[in-house]
Amino acid sequence: MKFIIFAGTPGSGKTSVVKHVIDELKDNHKLFYAKFDCLKTEDDKFIAERYKISTVKKLAGELCPDHYTALKIPKIIEENQDKDVVILETAGLCLRCSPYIKEGLGINVLDITSGNPSRYGPILTDADVVAISKGDLISQAEREIFRANVLMVNKKATLVEVNGLTGEGATDIVEAIQSSLEIKTKKLTLKHSMPSALCGYCYGNRIIDEKEEQQRALVGKKLKNLVPGLNCGKCGFKSCNEFIRAVLDGKAKKEQCPFIKNK
Amino acid sequence: MKTEIEKITILPGVNKFGEKEKFKKIEIKKGEIIAIVGSTGAGKSQLLYDIEKLTQGDSKSKRKILVNDKKPDKKIRFDPKKKLIASLSQSMNFLTDISVKDFLSLHLKARGKKFDSKLIKEVIDEANEITGEPILPEMNILNLSGGQSRALMISDVANVSISPVILIDEIENAGINKEKAMQILVEEGKIVLIVTHDPVLAFNTDKRVVIKNGGIIKILKTDLKEKGIGHYFNWIGNYNLEIREKIRNGEKVEKVKLFCEPIK
Repeated sequence: MKFIIFAGTPGSGKTSVVKHVIDELKDNHKLFYAKFDCLKTEDDKFIAERYKISTVKKLAGELCPDHYTALKIPKIIEENQDKDVVILETAGLCLRCSPYIKEGLGINVLDITSGNPSRYGPILTDADVVAISKGDLISQAEREIFRANVLMVNKKATLVEVNGLTGEGATDIVEAIQSSLEIKTKKLTLKHSMPSALCGYCYGNRIIDEKEEQQRALVGKKLKNLVPGLNCGKCGFKSCNEFIRAVLDGKAKKEQCPFIKNK
Repeated sequence: MKTEIEKITILPGVNKFGEKEKFKKIEIKKGEIIAIVGSTGAGKSQLLYDIEKLTQGDSKSKRKILVNDKKPDKKIRFDPKKKLIASLSQSMNFLTDISVKDFLSLHLKARGKKFDSKLIKEVIDEANEITGEPILPEMNILNLSGGQSRALMISDVANVSISPVILIDEIENAGINKEKAMQILVEEGKIVLIVTHDPVLAFNTDKRVVIKNGGIIKILKTDLKEKGIGHYFNWIGNYNLEIREKIRNGEKVEKVKLFCEPIK
C-alpha cells in the first residue's frame, strides 16, 4: 500500500487536485480516500459518489488538527490493507506542524497567490512534492520567481504546477505517487515534531490573563493524568480533552468519567 | 550550459476517440512560428502541454516530442534554470508590490543569472516598443495597465527567460502592437507556438496546425495573401492604439485614415 498525504491551507485547491488524481488512478488501483478537516466537510460523500471509491471523514473539532490526524493514521492504514493507494487530505493546519510521515509521500498543495513561500513551515519544507496551484492567475515571470523561492526553502522537493480546473499537472502527481515506496513497517514516524507547549488556552481558557492561564494549565494537566485517554465517550463527551474542558468550565463533574470514579 | 534547440518534432498520438493521428511527423525548426487553431475543447492546450512537458507517450494524447531528433532528458522539465520551454500565460497579473526594475532583477535571480542593469534597460525599452503608454523603471508593477503588463511580459520572455521555445496560449492582446511583439519574440531565433484565432497573430506564422476532437487533422501553410490580410489587421490595430493615445492625452481627433499605409 502507498500512503499519500495531501496537505495545504484552506482554499489552496487540494480537493480539486485530489479529484483529478483519483480520476487518473481509479481504473487501475484500489483506492481509499480520507478527508480530515476541522469543522465541516462534505468532500468524502462527493468523492465516494463520483468516483465510486470508499471514503471516510474525520473532523478534528476541539483537538489540534495535526495531533488528531496523527492519532487516526494507524487505524486507517490497518483497515485498508487491501488497498493499493490510500489518499489522506487534510486542511486543518496551523503551519507550525505538518502531518507528513516518513514512510509515505507528502504532497503540499501551495496556492501561488498566497505570498512568499518562506512564511511556511514544515508543511512546505518537509513535503516530497510541492504542487503549485493557481499559476494561471499570474504572469509567467512571477511564476518562475515563486518556483525559485519554493526551491530555496525546500531544495529536495519535486515541483509540479497544477491546475485544479483543467487537471493539468495531475499526471505528474500520479507519476510521483507511482514511483513512491510502499508502506512496509508498522512503526510510522512523523517527519516533524508537534508543538511542545500545552498551555491553559489549550484547556479552554478564554480569559486573557497570565495567572488564569497558569492555573487552568495546572488543573488541566492533573486531570489529564487521571483520564484514560481512550476517548471512550462514557462521560458523555466526544473526547477526553473535551471532557476536561467541561470539568474546568464547571459544566461537568470529574466523577462522570467512570475511570476517575473507580480509582 | 545553454542547450541549443534546432528542431522540435511531434510524433503522432491519438485523438479523443483513440484513433491514430494521420500525419507522419511535424517538424518545427528554429525561427519558425506555428499557430495552433481549433474550436473550444478541441485539444489545443493539450498540444501545448505535450510540448511543455516533452511527453513521451505518457499524456492523454499519447504524442511523443523529440528535441533535435532525440528523446529529451527528463530533468530539464522541472528546473526553471534549465527550462528549455517558456510559456507565456493567458494571465499577466502581478501580485508583488515592487518596482518594474526590481521585479526584473528578481526574475533574473530566479533564472540563476546575475544582476544586469543593461539587460533590464533593454527589457523595458523593448516593452516600450510594443505598448503605446511608456513604462518607466521606477513604476510599481501593480500599477501597470493591461497593455503595459503584456508588453513587459513579452519583452521579459524574449530577453530574460531566453528559453529557445516559447508557448503562447491565447494571449490577451489588447493595447499592444501584435506584429512588433511577435517580431521581438522570434528575433533571437526561437521556436514559437501560439494558440490563437486573432488574424494578425495567426497569419503572422509559417504554418497553422488544425486540431479537432483532440487530434491534429491538418497542417496549413500560411500563404502570401493571408500574410497580407494579417498586416492589414495589424495596421487597423495600431491605428486603434494611436487613436486611443490621442483620447488618453485629451486630444481631438479630426480626420480618419481610410487607407493602410505601407509597412516600414
